[in-house]
Amino acid sequence: MTAAPPFPLSRRELLARSGLGLGLLGLAGVLGETSGPVQAGGDPLLEPLAVKAPHFAPRAKRVIHIFLNGGPSQVDTFDPKPALAKYADQPAPISFTTERKTGSPLPSPFGFARHGESGLEISDIFPKLAGHADRLAVIRSMHAQVPNHEPSLMLMNCGDSVQPRPSVGSWILYGLGTENQNLPGFVAMCPGGHPVKGPDNWQSGFLPGTLQGTSIDSQHTEIEKLIENIRSPHASATVQRHQLDWLQKLNAAHREARGDARLDARIHAFEMAFRMQVEAAEAFDLTRESALMRALYGDTVHGRQALIARRLLERGVRYVQLWHGAGQPWDNHEQIESNHRTLAGQIDQPVAALLTDLAERGMLDETLVLFGGEFGRTPTVELGGDGKAKAGRDHNHYGFSVWLAGGGIKGGQAYGATDDFGFRAVDKPVSVHDLHATMLHLLGFDHEQLTYRYAGRDFRLTDVSGTVLRELVG
Amino acid sequence: MGFQGIFHVATVAALMGMIVGARSSRAEDAPVPPAPHHLEQFERHVRPLLVEQCQGCHGPDKQWAGLRLDSLAALLSGGDTGPALVPGRPDQSELLRRLRHADEEVRMPPPEAGERLTASQISAVEAWIMAGAAWPEAPPAGAAGIEKQKNHWAFQPLPQAPPGALDPAFIDRLVDTRLAGAGLARAPEADRRMLIRRVSYDLTGLPPEPEAVAAFVADPSPDAYERLVDRLLASPCYGEQQGRHWLDVARYSDTKGYVYGREERFFVHAPVYRDWVIGAFNDDLPYDRFVALQLAADRLCGEGDPDLAALGFLTTGRRFLGVTPDIVDDRIDVLTRGLLGLTVSCARCHDHKYDPVATADYYGLYGVFTSSYEKLVPVRATAGAAPPTPEFTAELAKRRRALDEGSLRLRAESSERFRDRVADYLFAQTELGKYPELGFDQIIAKDDLIAAIVRRWQAFLSPDRAAGDPVFSLLVALLPLRAEGFPETAAAKIAELKAAGAVIHPRILAAFETPPGSFREVADRYGKVFADIDAAWKTLCSQAVAASASLPQALPDAADEQLRQALYGPTSPCTIPDEPIANIETLMDSDSINQIWNLQNELDRWLIPQPGSAPQALALFDRGTPQDAQIFKRGNPANKGHVVPRRLPAAATGGDQGAFADGSGRLELARQIVAPANPLAARVWVNRVWRQHFGRGLVETPSDFGLRAEPPSHPELLDALAAGLIADGWSTKRLHRRIVTSHTYRQQSGRVPGAASAEEIDPENRLLWRMPVRRLEWEPFRDTLLVVSGDLDPAARGGRGSDVLAAGPGPHRRSVYCVVDRQFVPGVMSVFDFANPDLHMPKRLETTVPQQSLFALNHPFVAERARSLVRRLWPEESALEPGAAIERIWQAIYQRPPTSDEREGAIAFLASAPILEPPAPPPPPEEGKPAPSVPPPPLSPREQLVQTLLLSNELVFVD
Repeated sequence: MTAAPPFPLSRRELLARSGLGLGLLGLAGVLGETSGPVQAGGDPLLEPLAVKAPHFAPRAKRVIHIFLNGGPSQVDTFDPKPALAKYADQPAPISFTTERKTGSPLPSPFGFARHGESGLEISDIFPKLAGHADRLAVIRSMHAQVPNHEPSLMLMNCGDSVQPRPSVGSWILYGLGTENQNLPGFVAMCPGGHPVKGPDNWQSGFLPGTLQGTSIDSQHTEIEKLIENIRSPHASATVQRHQLDWLQKLNAAHREARGDARLDARIHAFEMAFRMQVEAAEAFDLTRESALMRALYGDTVHGRQALIARRLLERGVRYVQLWHGAGQPWDNHEQIESNHRTLAGQIDQPVAALLTDLAERGMLDETLVLFGGEFGRTPTVELGGDGKAKAGRDHNHYGFSVWLAGGGIKGGQAYGATDDFGFRAVDKPVSVHDLHATMLHLLGFDHEQLTYRYAGRDFRLTDVSGTVLRELVG
Repeated sequence: MGFQGIFHVATVAALMGMIVGARSSRAEDAPVPPAPHHLEQFERHVRPLLVEQCQGCHGPDKQWAGLRLDSLAALLSGGDTGPALVPGRPDQSELLRRLRHADEEVRMPPPEAGERLTASQISAVEAWIMAGAAWPEAPPAGAAGIEKQKNHWAFQPLPQAPPGALDPAFIDRLVDTRLAGAGLARAPEADRRMLIRRVSYDLTGLPPEPEAVAAFVADPSPDAYERLVDRLLASPCYGEQQGRHWLDVARYSDTKGYVYGREERFFVHAPVYRDWVIGAFNDDLPYDRFVALQLAADRLCGEGDPDLAALGFLTTGRRFLGVTPDIVDDRIDVLTRGLLGLTVSCARCHDHKYDPVATADYYGLYGVFTSSYEKLVPVRATAGAAPPTPEFTAELAKRRRALDEGSLRLRAESSERFRDRVADYLFAQTELGKYPELGFDQIIAKDDLIAAIVRRWQAFLSPDRAAGDPVFSLLVALLPLRAEGFPETAAAKIAELKAAGAVIHPRILAAFETPPGSFREVADRYGKVFADIDAAWKTLCSQAVAASASLPQALPDAADEQLRQALYGPTSPCTIPDEPIANIETLMDSDSINQIWNLQNELDRWLIPQPGSAPQALALFDRGTPQDAQIFKRGNPANKGHVVPRRLPAAATGGDQGAFADGSGRLELARQIVAPANPLAARVWVNRVWRQHFGRGLVETPSDFGLRAEPPSHPELLDALAAGLIADGWSTKRLHRRIVTSHTYRQQSGRVPGAASAEEIDPENRLLWRMPVRRLEWEPFRDTLLVVSGDLDPAARGGRGSDVLAAGPGPHRRSVYCVVDRQFVPGVMSVFDFANPDLHMPKRLETTVPQQSLFALNHPFVAERARSLVRRLWPEESALEPGAAIERIWQAIYQRPPTSDEREGAIAFLASAPILEPPAPPPPPEEGKPAPSVPPPPLSPREQLVQTLLLSNELVFVD
């Protein structure tokens, strides 16, 4: 029996003494400056991506977030409002201040029809997606905080409109780790460049940098343009194997006199990197998919991106975010009819194909799909600087729609409602924190218990609010 | 509305009996404190509701119906109609009944005060009452808690420096005592090769030169080590290494974070601050002065003084799109965690749960920063900087003039519009809801009313200010009147004012001879009065111009001048202060703002490429009239509480030092922080320095010395180092010297022979029975690659930031001189645990992930180093025999000769290394397109060998 040290056990000691694996430890503050019952030493976590168990049995194991950046219009997609037609060209019966001035109600130029057994109403710009109506739970009563892109992007992605905070993907990676150490655990794909606010959208905030999203410009097809440093421009695999074999000998001799776990971790990391080059290249290589499969998704940027996403999810990547494109494509201040039709046309088939494909592979049940933007658009027409309408809509954070599918979601329902004009969420309003709480719940977390100690406080994704939307859970 | 007459007397009596009974039974037994999880439930679900939904009318400020809902005692004693709750009995609790009531007249909160609570909120209250209404004893944790806070080690005054505290042996004595207590002993001294590598990295961030190692190993003199330390401390590389550590504390970045397209995203002043920090360490600027300058250089030095750059500590934070509460929050955070180890920003929304920091303390600091404004000011270049060319200076002056003139013109035009629309701004006071105080960005046309100006009028017309004012008292009296029956109530109000003998401005009196029909009419009449005054003033001015006379200073009639001041005076809501666009951009229409930003960008973009020759500091200055801040309840700027004096929390100063009285208070703030009586500043600083040498602090949490921090592993040592620092004139260099010349620091690392029991007793090495092995952080790792390959230009110091992964053989600059772009931190830096520059990060994490290995294997930056090193030491054409070449390579990379195993291994490696064919040259470029990039040649066997060594653990770990 050895004397107890004169200070509390550190995390590493506890692990060493109890023989517990990392995955069995409670999560609260595992990585923080100090942590609840288990005191973390100054010892940083060696491998923040190791698999960990959530608080309770999860319904979903992975997430794909299809981000319609710029703000899709709810009244033109998933929230039909016939009342708009009655008031067209008249003063709006209700109107709220948004970023720009708006005028009369602008009826949707698109038709709506009921689909599936549920009769869920979907605009005719999503004909293929409509075939999945019974899988979708549309939340029609989302609301955000302000009608500006930047804070709303931060709120949707990181749960705080202003302060630098970890993104949803980083939190989930922090909570669960990733199941494939040869691929990044959190991938954000955006064709053609960055969305507004760029890497802030997939930041890790105060969490370890390795938990941030790996961003990929999915307009490229070459692997070396997709993942940083994935391929050597100056050596072949044979050369690297030769180098690594000798490196491990050098490291083994160096380790002899030291015996520090971090030395082993770094030795291990080189072998992982070596394998990753092969596996990542394989994951992104769509020529390995059948022609039929490629045709299902469509041979377009968005089709390829969605198919890559499925391959990543299949290989254990925890969180994939698919952005529509650089900047904010859905930000249709003008000509909403032609713009929304084009944009929806770009993703309708890929998203429908993804749902079909995930379902056929038996993956949909454990894959949570989130589809939506950072806010919605005004049901009233935007007025330009000259006071004339340009057939577009301004930003609207008072009410908007997103949908969820798969991963424990009860499909075929519309949850909550906006007012008669689709301006503001009035029935069962859902905050972004509620949405996040529900996502974490499906992943097996009590959103109030998934915390990280920083700056003297236990932070969480949902800040000090968030209610799980039980009606969405199937 | 409050809890009114609904209670049955009998119920009340019964309840009172129950409560008394409950209490007396408690009195007999020992008091049972509420269970922690019940308290947690309360803090999580119930207290926020009470604060947000109830305490506005039933709290410290107002007690409708005599009821307060801000303590358990208050709830139990209740209001006019009896107790508000019965612990354990939701069915008998009036509070719950009122929350649930179907009748709007009875239900709480009343419709005009807020939304009906949700079912889940109400059931949280019910559950809380059911569980006994747990409420923590007096905030934050009762007498015992206050006692605990008072006795907390970090808040205790520092003892006098004990005799011998400045002797490195003092450190050893305290460490040895702890070791002996655990039956352990210090490890033997490390060998000289290990020592020089360790201390070189710690003090300069660079590996020692091979020659220096050889000389030190061969130096027989007993003070060889001390002389080595002195040489390193005198090296300019010392400031670069220590500076980089400080820049982490200061969450340094060259960029502002996300900005709108209209604004330049790079800071003009950041590199000047970075170079000032490095210089300050090299000059061994005493730490108290170092800190004071970073908080209040504007008060400590004169115009143009290079030390003004120090204020970059406060002004290189993220800009949050110009939102003041967030900019100030960032400054409070870097100040309190960075310098005091106190987590004050928790108190932005509520009192700190654990530490003695109240919301009032947070807003006490808030007022300091809102009483300061920032301004970019030129400072003298430090010696050695290239002077700017005359062309540069002339162009700079031109751009500055364009900005000043443009800003003046656009501000004047805006003010003119505001004066023309006084009536509309006054009327807007009746519909403030349309003009959010801190809302969101809107595109504002020139003919729109501007929310911030509406709000300035609101403040201008606040009853405290305007009630006795002859010009506005009448308007203020009429403002709250309802639209129904306005003519009658207004007439009565005016009569009442007159009867009370209120002094009313004659022109206003004349305008209101007949009673107004509506408030719109009130606003219009005021508008007319002001329009007349403005016309009179303009006539006077144009007459003066026509007569070539000097412009008038005031209207001849004193009463008229009083009205004119409301339009033109320095405190008029129509006047836009002459401040940088960043400070005034909410006060104008979108087009004017964009125009001024364009001019500002023209200036900034001229300055940014030459930070050294025309250095600028983004300094803070005290405003003419400092103002205490109002608390924002729950952190919400729209929900203001009482005004709090500007001051530091008592815990941060070792006792209440009173409110600040001098300007913004920053100078007093700085002085109190570095006062010898301050218990925190010196402790926090010595702990940071200690941590650089031992990988961990004596206190594990370098930026949190509060009640939740683990106590120091060696409390006496921490105090002796801190007291010693002060006694030694706050010299950081000598503090480093004391630490690195101690025998504690000079111990062996790694496996220590015969220390098996130590591994058992103290596996974490908290007692320091050996030196820990440490991994190089990103900057020393990158610098090492550059040093060993010969690609570093150590003399290229300061100025504009370089590209961290610049291609080619260089020469490259040290990492501390590379751009830190908080918006686009290069992936490689994040992967190597670079501190997120958006936030003050207390310490860097140390993760091990395959992305680090991918960089090392595949990035051209590493391969280039291998190529350079081979080119320098063993080019293909060289006739050097392999054994000698390998010796040279080992010396360059590891500063030691290879072992015979390693030599043989290297030779075998070369013999078996694959030789790759050079890639096919790219096809000729298509017409009109740029030539495709030429792929790099494959690594030769020698380069493969060197690259492998660069990947090794020996290179990145320091013994």
